[in-house]
Amino acid sequence: MTDNPTDQTSSDDPLLGQLRRLARTVDPVPNEVTAYARAALGWRRVDAELAELLADSRLEAPSGARSIAESMRSLTFRATDVQLDVEIEESGDRLLLLGQLAPSTKAEIDVQRDDGTILASTSGDDLGRFRFELPAGGRIRLVVRREAPAPPIETSWI
Amino acid sequence: MTLSELLQRAAQGDQQAWDALVDRFSSLVWATARAHRLSRDDAADVAQTTWLRLVEHLDRIQDPERLGAWLATTARHESLRLIRRGTREQPTDEPDLFEAPDAEMIDRLMLEQERDGLLWRAFASLSDRCKTLLRMLVADEPPSYEEIGSALDMPVGAIGPTRGRCLDQLRRTAGVAQLGA
Repeated sequence: MTDNPTDQTSSDDPLLGQLRRLARTVDPVPNEVTAYARAALGWRRVDAELAELLADSRLEAPSGARSIAESMRSLTFRATDVQLDVEIEESGDRLLLLGQLAPSTKAEIDVQRDDGTILASTSGDDLGRFRFELPAGGRIRLVVRREAPAPPIETSWI
Repeated sequence: MTLSELLQRAAQGDQQAWDALVDRFSSLVWATARAHRLSRDDAADVAQTTWLRLVEHLDRIQDPERLGAWLATTARHESLRLIRRGTREQPTDEPDLFEAPDAEMIDRLMLEQERDGLLWRAFASLSDRCKTLLRMLVADEPPSYEEIGSALDMPVGAIGPTRGRCLDQLRRTAGVAQLGA
C-alpha cells in the first residue's frame, strides 16, 4: 500500500484517534469473549483429524425471506478418507440430526458441546447412517470414532 | 515473534503464544462482527466461532503472515451465516456506536457530552458505508487495508479514497469542526 499515501498516516489522523477512543468506550470487546477465545486452545486435540466444513446450505441460501427450507440445513464435512453428510431439521426447541458416512463404515458418534459436555452418543448402522434428536441451540460438533487404526474424526463446530 | 512462529507454537499447545494471537486480533474480529450490525450477543457468538475455527485450522493456515485477513474473512462468513439464520435480536438499550445516543446513554458511559457526545452523534449521522469502514479503521491494533478489505468484502483500492471522504464528512458535520483539528 505504499502507493497510497493516506495508508501510512491512517493512525495519525487526530479525528480517527478520537473516534478510536470513543469506540473503545462505547463498543469494547467483552471480557467474556476474550476469555472464551483464550480458552479455545483447549479444544485442540492432536490425535483427531478435522473433518472440514465443505458446504453449508445456510451459507449458500440467498438472504431475505425466511422459508420452510430454512428450517432444514444440510452440511458436508470432509476428512482425508471419509465424507460426512448431515441434515438438520429444526422444529421448535428440538432438532433432528441425520448423518451418513461415505464410504459407509461402522462408527460410534458423539455430539459434543463447546462447554465440554457430551450431549448425546449413538452407534451408526452398517451403512454408516446415524440419527440424533437434540435440544436446539448452542454450538456443537460431531466426534466420529471408527474401528482402529482409523483415527477419530472431529467435525468443524456448527 | 512472527505470526508464523506464534501459530506454530500455539499448534503445539503453547498457551502464551495463543494468547498473543488473541490479544493481537480480538479487536479486529469483534469489529468485523459489529460492522455487520450484529448485536453484542450475536457478535460474541461470531467471535467465539471464529476463534474455534482458528483452533481447528492452526496447522492449516497457508499464509501465516496474512492471519489477520484470514480471521477477518472467517468472521465475515460467520456474520453472514448468522444473519441468514434470521434469528437476530436487536436490543435497543445497549450502546451502539452506529446509533445516535440519548443523554442517558452518554451519562451511563460517563462520556463527556460536548466532546464525545458530539462526535458520536456526528458519526451516527454518516452513511452506512462510512460507519462500517470507519468502525473497522478504529479497531485496536489498527487493521491493515487488506484485513479491512477481507472483513467487509471491499476492494483494497477503494478503502483509502472512501476513508478520506468519510473523515471529511465527519469533520464537516456540525460541531465536529473543533474536534480533531
